[in-house]
Amino acid sequence: MKSSTFSRFCEGLHTQRRVIHALIIRELITRFGRENIGFLWMMVEPLLFASLVSIMWRIIHGPQEHGVSIAAFVVTGYIPLTLFRHVVNRSVAIFQANSSLLYHRQIQILDFVIARFVIEMLGSMMAFLLVAVLLIAFDLFPIPADPGMMIAGWLIYCLFCFSLCLVIAPLSEMSEVLEKFIPVTTYIMIPVSGTFSMVSWLTPAFRHVMLWSPFVSGVEMMRGGIWGNRVTVYYEVWYPIALSMVLSFIGLALIRYVRRSLVVE
Amino acid sequence: MIVCENLSKSYRVGHGRKHVLCDVNLQISKSDKIAFLGRNGAGKSTLIRLLGGVEMPTSGIIRRSMSVSWPLGFNGGFQGSLTGYDNARFIARIYNKPYQYVREFVEEFTELGRQLAMPVKTYSSGMRARLAFALSLAIEFDCYLIDEIILVGDAQFRAKCQYELFDKRGDRGFVLASHDMGIIREFCNRAVIVGGQNAIVTDDVEGAVAHYERS
Repeated sequence: MKSSTFSRFCEGLHTQRRVIHALIIRELITRFGRENIGFLWMMVEPLLFASLVSIMWRIIHGPQEHGVSIAAFVVTGYIPLTLFRHVVNRSVAIFQANSSLLYHRQIQILDFVIARFVIEMLGSMMAFLLVAVLLIAFDLFPIPADPGMMIAGWLIYCLFCFSLCLVIAPLSEMSEVLEKFIPVTTYIMIPVSGTFSMVSWLTPAFRHVMLWSPFVSGVEMMRGGIWGNRVTVYYEVWYPIALSMVLSFIGLALIRYVRRSLVVE
Repeated sequence: MIVCENLSKSYRVGHGRKHVLCDVNLQISKSDKIAFLGRNGAGKSTLIRLLGGVEMPTSGIIRRSMSVSWPLGFNGGFQGSLTGYDNARFIARIYNKPYQYVREFVEEFTELGRQLAMPVKTYSSGMRARLAFALSLAIEFDCYLIDEIILVGDAQFRAKCQYELFDKRGDRGFVLASHDMGIIREFCNRAVIVGGQNAIVTDDVEGAVAHYERS
């Protein structure tokens, strides 16, 4: 009995992997088409954002600030920020938009959220890699001192973004008011996103407050991994993970609840 | 076997609820050929959608112990902005079938030719029906859920559908929601009269058709 439950679970995992793969390809084709660079468009927006804003900052603030290259500083802040804004905006009404696919029983509405998140995450990572390599070539970006730390920070940031999507996607289905508030909320959150500041620039009292934001921990870890000893970073590891777990749990319960009453055209 | 126990479905309409189905009990065996009879809006499509797992019942359980197709109807199941080929590839992926086979089957069955490389949203309902039906036949199910779709299209296509489904796959079951009493009389061995929030099963297809035509 136990082994049959386990084999059914494995079979389910295989099905879900196939479905997510199919959904990702479908989304890439519908969003970016097959012409010119095709799916590579997924990294264009984060790429443009990060590079243009860093050029702007470079002109306004000079080559360095607080002892680090300003171009690299802006890039490490902007790539995570665009990921956050994109995945949150794309989670809104995601179930209704894809509802015609629910005709196929093996597709779960959770798979829509996962597929879109994976696309945005891969796009951001490709953009980051490309910008970093270019900037390293011009000596504007340090070779990461501790790549493991950088990746860990990125993963924590992504985990938290994903858990937010899991909550926002079903909530947007339950209330249309939410949709109106999301753009302004993501904008207001910029100061606590860790994009434009580092915790060490603040007074000790403020540092404590900033670390309540899981984004800040993620970005600080990434920057700590990139500059190593040249910057002082403050971060929490378990608090963002625990918060993500709680949010995911709430999100999964909400998704289950929403699925029961979802009306498919 | 599909077993439905105490199935109810209601939709929220404004501040109230519209009850479509109430306490429906239904069993569909592996080789049953069932007709769903009922007026427009009686709940035939809703029941088919519940059987196919597209929507969830408000209360009650559905147990499926055979493979059941997705509801084959005029909409749903496709991504309009994708081409026929892309939709075929998507379906082959999620149902774990070799794309080469699905593609050849669809080309042969639908006879849509170069139209298959156009977005599905540009198709007429007859063309959509061909594609949906071809895909579901390529995947092979134990039980097909057919919501009117077989009845669109020209005589030649209808003959082709009937050959593929009723002759070649005579051992499979299907659920057919239709207003065409000729087909129902000819091919179905059981009937379900849907109406008044209920669904009543009978083995007497003739009697059910007569009852439906009187009402």
